[in-house]
Amino acid sequence: MITATTVIRVGTAEAAGVGVTRGELRVGDAPDGEPVTIPVAIARGAGQGPVLWLHGCVHGDEYCGAFIIHELLRTLDTGRLTGVVVALPMLNITASQRGQRMSPFATFGYGDLNRCFPGAADGAFTDQMAHAIYGGLRQYADYFIDFHTALTPDTRWALFANAPGDVGRRSEGMARAFGLKSTLPAPMDILGGSAMIAAARNGIPSLIVEMGGIGPAFERETVLEGAERLRNVMRHLGMLAEKPTEHGPLTYFSNFAWVNATRGGLFEQAVQCGQRVDKGTLVGRYIGAHGDTLEEVKSPHAGIVLAIHPGPAMGTGDVLVHIGLDPRDT
Amino acid sequence: MATLRIGTAVLEGTGIARGYLKVGDMPDGRPMQVPVLLGRGTKPGPTLWLHGCVHGNEACGAFVVHRLFRELDTAALSGTIVALPILNITAFRAKQRMSPFEGFAGGDLNRSFPGRTDGTLTEQMAHAIYTELKAHASYLIDLHTAMTADVRWALFPNAPGEVGKKSESMARAFGFTSTLPAPMDILAGSAMMVAAHDGIPSLIVEAGGKGPAFTAALVSDVVERLRNVMRQLGMVSGPIAQHGPLTYFSNFAWVRAVQGGLFQRAVHCGERLKVGTVLGHYYDLWGQPAGEALSPHAGVVLAIHPGPVLASGETLVHIGLDPRDV
Repeated sequence: MITATTVIRVGTAEAAGVGVTRGELRVGDAPDGEPVTIPVAIARGAGQGPVLWLHGCVHGDEYCGAFIIHELLRTLDTGRLTGVVVALPMLNITASQRGQRMSPFATFGYGDLNRCFPGAADGAFTDQMAHAIYGGLRQYADYFIDFHTALTPDTRWALFANAPGDVGRRSEGMARAFGLKSTLPAPMDILGGSAMIAAARNGIPSLIVEMGGIGPAFERETVLEGAERLRNVMRHLGMLAEKPTEHGPLTYFSNFAWVNATRGGLFEQAVQCGQRVDKGTLVGRYIGAHGDTLEEVKSPHAGIVLAIHPGPAMGTGDVLVHIGLDPRDT
Repeated sequence: MATLRIGTAVLEGTGIARGYLKVGDMPDGRPMQVPVLLGRGTKPGPTLWLHGCVHGNEACGAFVVHRLFRELDTAALSGTIVALPILNITAFRAKQRMSPFEGFAGGDLNRSFPGRTDGTLTEQMAHAIYTELKAHASYLIDLHTAMTADVRWALFPNAPGEVGKKSESMARAFGFTSTLPAPMDILAGSAMMVAAHDGIPSLIVEAGGKGPAFTAALVSDVVERLRNVMRQLGMVSGPIAQHGPLTYFSNFAWVRAVQGGLFQRAVHCGERLKVGTVLGHYYDLWGQPAGEALSPHAGVVLAIHPGPVLASGETLVHIGLDPRDV
């Protein structure tokens, strides 16, 4: 438990009193021997309360989350904050620098940082990164929110750790306060190695937000909306004084299905995020190099589109569509 | 009718033919080949050469060519269309500007024309393509994108005499408001400039952004504008749409970022700039404001970096200079 006299240290960021402290956390070394460090901001409020831990850019090309976290930090008045926000807005920095999902230094293993938590001190590059990050998370975090994007600007959904007991209930409370219509109570046997599932197993209520698309594929409005929804979670947690907005019923899923492309080609999407699909609904068209239609792709599942490949080109095995299964309003 | 042959695409009479032009070899020894589409009308007329994806991540042009051909009625066509929708095929596959097999010399295909048989990969590609272009093309239109979905401008070689005049009339029939009569000493090695030097009227179209940053509505708009150029050239019948006065420039200025970081643009394509207009805002890793990018020139925004991150030396903004309505 954080008391008024506890100094919160994450890398070189040391928060002893009220205000915002900035620093860097070393997560590994680059091939030239220089440290790989990631930004850390600690916003400590005047009132005592929970520690909310935030991640952005776990996947390097999912920048929207960094901009949402930055927007929150710029608009946060620590004089009116109860508790602490620890923000790591650009987690996979070497991947972000390259505009790609995974680090260019993850040359051997799989390298998906969101499958590497809690990490290993003597593992591959990404395992060591995860280990360096997760130590602070586990030590300090009372609640955890991880910001991701999918492929297109219209992506808007969330998933929480559907853990037994209090952890699951509190995770769900965050999801409802965030209030994106499409929400998955994530079964605890999926997304092994994600920070969300690892944290939930350690008793930390957790939420993943998926807003916007990769690279520049997100709008300023989405950033502002994400920051406001995040503030609403903080109201719900008692970190901000105002009464939280009630978002009404959400659409829950039983699980999701990743559908991979079984052929490649130029591609035109035929559905949007949030759209209901039946088994057999046209989701897009593969087009050959001469402009001929190679195949019309049908959805193999009924559900709601969580993510869709925007084209214009894809190889065999790319993620074609991501479907939320068994939608029900709750 | 004479046999028309570009690579393996062969047309004896009228109609549409598809095939491939070999432009080099892959590292595994297999041929590196680009798709070719031929469309020949029932009546004689000029040969319009179209190509897209000179830069591999500028896919909008390929979709434009594809749609034009899907809607092409060769019975109503006078002359011939030769189209190579995905010129830089290995770059297209890698979703990047230049070929992944160009590790040495940069490899910008649009600076490598007319190419050479014993040069780098990109120079050899350029040679294979340009040999056919020079042999067949009466007119050339080269379809590019810049960075963001709102990009819409064109440039034609401001060559002396007939070549310049015909190039300009294509630009006016295409009708993007922002248009550069390109001085003949810029863009050396571009297909447009090389063709113009060889007497072939030419046009570069810049529509849409990189990768998926373009819409189906833009593809349709560009296809309709291409059809209007074809009416102007007498290749299809129908009234020629008059686009009214265009905004011409004296030249353009590429402005490179002298600062890196998280970046959020403050201007849109087509917007007028003064010296000192705020182009965008930089932020540091913690989200703190880290300065503004100011325009060093007056003019009109042709292209702007979409962010969200950029490194020193990336193209920050591309500005059309000295705009005047003509």
